[in-house]
Amino acid sequence: MSVVGNLLQGAAIVYQPFALALIVAGVLIGMTMGSLPGMTATMTVAVLVSFTFGMEAAEGMMLLLGIYGGALYAGSIPAILIRTPGTPSAAATVFDGFPLAERGLAGRAIAVATVASFVGGAVSVVLLAALAPQIASVAIEFGSAEYFALAVFGLTIIASVSGDSLLKGLVSGLLGMLLATVGLDPVLAYPRFSFGFEPLTSGIQFIAVMIGLFGIAEGFLRYQRGIETEQVSQEFTNVIPSRADLSKIRNVVVGSSVAGAFIGAIPGAGGDIASFVTYNEAKRWVEGAAATFGDGDIRGVAAAESGNNASTGGALIPTLTLGIPGDSVTAILIGALMVHGIRPGPGLFQDEPELVYAIFVGFFTVYVVILVFGLVGARYWARLIDFPGKYLWPAIFVLSIVGAFALRGNVLDVWVALGAGALGYVMRVEDYPLAPMVLGLILGPIAEVNLRRSLKLSGGSLEIFYSEPLTLGIFALAAVSLVVPFVQAWRGSNTESA
Amino acid sequence: MVGEDNDAILESTGRRRFLKATGVGSAVGLAGLTGLGAAQEYPSDDIELIVPWAAGGGTDRTARQLASLAENELDTSVFVTNQTGGSGSAGFRAAANAEADGHTVGVLTVEIATISHLGIADITPDDFDAVMQYNFDPASLTVHEDAPYSTIEEFVSYAEDNPGEIRISNSGIGAIWHLSAAQMAQQVGIDVEHIGYDGGAPATQAVVNGEVEATTASAAEVAPQVQDGPLNMLAVFGEERNDLFPDVPTLREKDIDVTIGAWRGLGVPSGTPDERVQTLNGAFQSVYESDDFQSFMDENGFGLVNRGPEEYGEFMASELDRFEEIVANLGLGPGGDGGTETESGTTTASETTSS
Repeated sequence: MSVVGNLLQGAAIVYQPFALALIVAGVLIGMTMGSLPGMTATMTVAVLVSFTFGMEAAEGMMLLLGIYGGALYAGSIPAILIRTPGTPSAAATVFDGFPLAERGLAGRAIAVATVASFVGGAVSVVLLAALAPQIASVAIEFGSAEYFALAVFGLTIIASVSGDSLLKGLVSGLLGMLLATVGLDPVLAYPRFSFGFEPLTSGIQFIAVMIGLFGIAEGFLRYQRGIETEQVSQEFTNVIPSRADLSKIRNVVVGSSVAGAFIGAIPGAGGDIASFVTYNEAKRWVEGAAATFGDGDIRGVAAAESGNNASTGGALIPTLTLGIPGDSVTAILIGALMVHGIRPGPGLFQDEPELVYAIFVGFFTVYVVILVFGLVGARYWARLIDFPGKYLWPAIFVLSIVGAFALRGNVLDVWVALGAGALGYVMRVEDYPLAPMVLGLILGPIAEVNLRRSLKLSGGSLEIFYSEPLTLGIFALAAVSLVVPFVQAWRGSNTESA
Repeated sequence: MVGEDNDAILESTGRRRFLKATGVGSAVGLAGLTGLGAAQEYPSDDIELIVPWAAGGGTDRTARQLASLAENELDTSVFVTNQTGGSGSAGFRAAANAEADGHTVGVLTVEIATISHLGIADITPDDFDAVMQYNFDPASLTVHEDAPYSTIEEFVSYAEDNPGEIRISNSGIGAIWHLSAAQMAQQVGIDVEHIGYDGGAPATQAVVNGEVEATTASAAEVAPQVQDGPLNMLAVFGEERNDLFPDVPTLREKDIDVTIGAWRGLGVPSGTPDERVQTLNGAFQSVYESDDFQSFMDENGFGLVNRGPEEYGEFMASELDRFEEIVANLGLGPGGDGGTETESGTTTASETTSS
């Protein structure tokens, strides 16, 4: 059957009252959970997956995809409003989103994030529908050496998100990598830095650190400065992005959407890595961005948000075509389909074309719903931080602690969040950038385990890192990424002196 | 929202448990006074099922199914809490340390018999009274279809001719699929490299893209790539052949005396009154036999194996002994070692990519 015919058949499944209601419900649930720090898309999908067992497979997918897209989008809301990413994928949204909110432009930032998320998600679904088998065949080739190269590439981003002091950036990045070594060593499973304390053998939880580093640290700062003096009244006039804003973010969003979808398609690389890479690439390639990114440039918000939402459609590519999950949410989606006797994998497109095309149409619809809810809701969300600080920040404190505990039901995570809060406070007072630390936490373990696994696979030979063109290509990207900021700085100083 | 509900549940049960504990105290006092000593009614409260692995994984999904079906049998609410970390030890410990009154049940997975040997945590099946085993998923040996061997015999003779050349991927060092591969290699006397990955899915991917030669993940884990992809299953490590792959022989059929894999069951803190163990077993046994549960397990590719309290207890004890030997032969054991944070038999993406 033709692609158009297949799409129409998919649409016939999706555009039924019940399926549409599930999409709307999924998006609303996902947005609620995603906007609560500590509640991730993965957890929400995991908890609600059992509700889909009694539905048709395609209907269940509508609910879960709604949650997936909604949660990844809504992680940006607290990132912008209270400097705390709602999900790990929204960490890069903080850098420009929060400065915008501080200037009273939270509504504008949320509106930009909404449009960027919509385009990112929609572009990734189109790529999924059009090129899934081709992209998957590249993604499956990612072996340990390629993952190591990718992690190195990611770590080079530290150079461009370090702000004024590269040294302080490196300190922050290495501290992140160091924290990530706590727990069982990933190759020999030797307990590191656990000091015989059993809960530490499972390591420091990334999300707990994020909650502390951003949310709790920000709270400490607010108290120090005196909460009442900080009040900024928010503007609500420009909730739908202006034409000027849209044309300003257009190129960034398109580029980040395509890049985000590709990164999402690599199994094990999800929205967190995607948003950092797209944020960094935008900063590097967009004219004038090097100076304005980090101080409330809407293009920074747009790059991160289109990148992380594009990773969702990307993650579905290996999930549906190979049966290998693109990230932790899609791993659960596989389980949800298996309940219905459907096993994603190479045979899925032949065996279940209706379901596959319903997923394409449904996921696209999810993003349309997100666009509508996001734009309508932006003014109400933004109004939240017009709440007097003496009520708002204690509430955020409580939510942060609850979020850290809810992660695993483990009290250790609460202490980690509080400790990270103290660390984040000191780092901000001393002007250490936080972004490198986040990168170190995410990428340090990926770099380590894949380096060591590669060397075990090759019997200790370094040849494994330069024998494949794919690996070399990624290393080349990393090299460019290291050099470009210096070239830009050099050219910048030349034009200034001219 | 959901998480907060969970917390609310946790908190309220904590309070209720406290109230109940004081209530029990006074009831006992009263019984002592009147010399009646009648057995306390059971269950007198909600029952908590502790899952030592994350929500959405295989253990979690089976446990939630058991919990929801058991509510009718036990006439009380049965709720699941995920207490994860330490290769399952956090959840095992929480269950073992709970009050031994039958209101806290732990899901005991194969790791309860391995983590003490790996030096991860000092907790074993001895800390529990067994209630029921409900699942067994044997390991399988799966290779790429382009490989120079297409039967288990050819694989073994290739490995004998090329010592150290075969690399077998697993879901994590010290995890059950690693130990399964090790026991198979040990039994047939071949020299192979074990390569640990972060879960069963990347371990499978590594065979597909040719990074390693073979994997020992469960049949369910590799099924899509065997049915429609480039992988070829040579043997299953169970007592019987797998329904999905009726043409694939067991190792035993090939005179290799190995049966190994992941299993799941239920246990209560040791010292729980025997009649309560029997009540729980009766309820969960009915659930196990129900059409709902049987079809759930089949559809999800979970193997059905059933043992009662006594048998399951003995089985776990024998597994504890068996893994001690395998771990020692691998040179993992305390002093140099441990296991990894990946649930066996589950498709999990890397933990670092939580979205």
